[in-house]
Amino acid sequence: MDQFIQLDNFAKITPYAQLFKQGMLVTILLSLFTVVIGFCIALVLALMRMSNVRPFRSLGLDENGHLREGGVLALISRFNPLSFIATAYVEILRSTPVLVQIFIVYYGVFSLIQLPSFQLFGFIKFDRFFPGVVALGMNSGAYLCEIIRAGIQSIDGGQTEAARSLGLSQTQNLRYIILPQALKNILPAIANEFVVIIKESAITYTIGVQDIMSAVNAVRGATFVIVEPLLVATAVYFCLCFPTSKIIAYFERRMSHGDKR
Amino acid sequence: MATRDSLIQVTDLKKHYNMGAIKALDGVTVDIHRGDVMVVIGPSGSGKSTFLRSLNLLEEPTGGAIVFDGVDITRKKYKDENGKTVKLDIDKLRQKMGMVFQHFNLFPHMTILENMTLAPLKVKGTNKAEAEEKALALLDRVGLSDRAGAYPIQLSGGQKQRVAIVRALAMEPQVMLFDEPTSALDPEMVGEVLDVMKGLAKEGMTMVVVTHEMGFAREVGNRVLFMADGMLLEQGSPEEIFGNPKSPRLKDFLAKVL
Repeated sequence: MDQFIQLDNFAKITPYAQLFKQGMLVTILLSLFTVVIGFCIALVLALMRMSNVRPFRSLGLDENGHLREGGVLALISRFNPLSFIATAYVEILRSTPVLVQIFIVYYGVFSLIQLPSFQLFGFIKFDRFFPGVVALGMNSGAYLCEIIRAGIQSIDGGQTEAARSLGLSQTQNLRYIILPQALKNILPAIANEFVVIIKESAITYTIGVQDIMSAVNAVRGATFVIVEPLLVATAVYFCLCFPTSKIIAYFERRMSHGDKR
Repeated sequence: MATRDSLIQVTDLKKHYNMGAIKALDGVTVDIHRGDVMVVIGPSGSGKSTFLRSLNLLEEPTGGAIVFDGVDITRKKYKDENGKTVKLDIDKLRQKMGMVFQHFNLFPHMTILENMTLAPLKVKGTNKAEAEEKALALLDRVGLSDRAGAYPIQLSGGQKQRVAIVRALAMEPQVMLFDEPTSALDPEMVGEVLDVMKGLAKEGMTMVVVTHEMGFAREVGNRVLFMADGMLLEQGSPEEIFGNPKSPRLKDFLAKVL
C-alpha cells in the first residue's frame, strides 16, 4: 500500500486491456476527424479573414471613379462582413474554455438536433462521438485559422507583387505561389496543433466518449486501482503524439528544397 | 499631346495619403512612346518608385489618368467602343507590362524553369513544350540555360536578376518596368544585369527604368526624368539633363551622385 506503483496492480488491470485498445482507437479516430474538420474550418476562416469582399466598395470611389482619400465613406467602403464574422468566431472560440464549448455543443446544440444512436465498429456511440468531434473541430479550427493566416502573411509581399505583375489572378497567386510556401512555413505549428488535439481529445470523456480517459475511469471504477491505469494512458498518449510530430518533421524536411542550406 | 507612337500617357497622376497630408505623387504628366528607354532619377523619397509601380497599378493612384492601350487604367470601370460599361481587367493589363523588382522576387519553391513557365502556362494557356522551349531560349540569351533546373537560392544575385528579367519577357510584354534593378546587387554583378538591359534597349523594347546608375541613364536612356517631392521637375535627353541641368534641385542632386 505504501508503494507508488505496485506490479500486482498491473496484473489486476490486464483483463481490461481491451478497453484501452478500444479507447486508443476512439482517440485516434476522434483526433483524425477533428484535424480534418478543424483544417477545413480554418482554411475557410483564414480566407474569409483575408478576403476582399466589400459590399459598400462603390462608396469609396468618387464621381470620377477614383479612390477616395479618406472620410466616413472610405471607411464604410472598406467594411468586410466576411472578415468580421471570421474574426468574431476566432476571438470567441479562443477566449472560452474547451470544456464549456463541448458542453454547449453536446447539451445545447445536439439536444435540439436528434442524432441517430448507432454504434461505429460496434463500440463507439455515435451520438456522443459526433458532438465531440464537432466541438473539438470548431475549437481547433479557430487556432489553425490563426496559424494559416500567419503563415500566409509571413510570405514576402514581393512574391504577390511578382505574381500579379506577371498577370496571375489573386486566386492563382494564392494557389501557386503563396499557399505552397506558407504550408511549408506553418508545418511545425500545425504539427504542434495536431499533437495538442490528440491530447485535448481526452476532455471528451466528460460527455461520455469512450476514449482512453474513459477507459481509465472504467478500470478505476471496477478495480479501485488508479495510478497504474493512468500510467498506461500516459504511455498510450505518448506513443500517439511522439510519432505524429516525427512524421510531420519528416515531411517538413522533404519539402525544404529551395531553402537555404 | 498624344503622338501616334504614344504607348502610355500619364496625366496629372496623384497618389495622396491621409487626406492629402502626404503626397507621394503630386501631378505627374508624361508621355511614354514606343521604343523609349525612359530613365527616372531623383533622390530617395522623391516618388519615382511610386510612379513606376502606379503604371501597372501595384500602387493605386488617387487622381489623374494613365492611358495604356487606349484605356484609362486608373478607373475601375470604363466605357468600351460600343458605349457599354466594362470592368477593368487588371490581370489582362499586367500581362502586357513586365516588371522587374529590386529584390528579384523569384519564387523560391520553384526551379528557374518553373519560375519562367508558370505565367505562360497558367495565364496565357501556352502548352508546356512550347513554354519550356521559349523559356530555355530566353535563358540561353542571358547565359543561364544550364541553370534551368536550379532553385533561386542556388543562384547569385546577378543571375537571379537576369532570370527575373527573362521571366517577365516570357510573357512578351509591350513595356518593361524596372524598379531599381541593380540596387540590391553586389557591385561586381551590376554590369551583367545592365548588359542584359542594354541588349533589350537595342532591340527596341520600351522600358521605364528607375535607377541610381547614372552611367546607364546617360548611355542607354533616350529620355531622363528627374523627380523630387512627388513632382516631375525636369525631363529631357540625357545630354540636357546631365550636361545642362536647369533647376537647382537637379544641379544639387547631380553634384551629390556624380
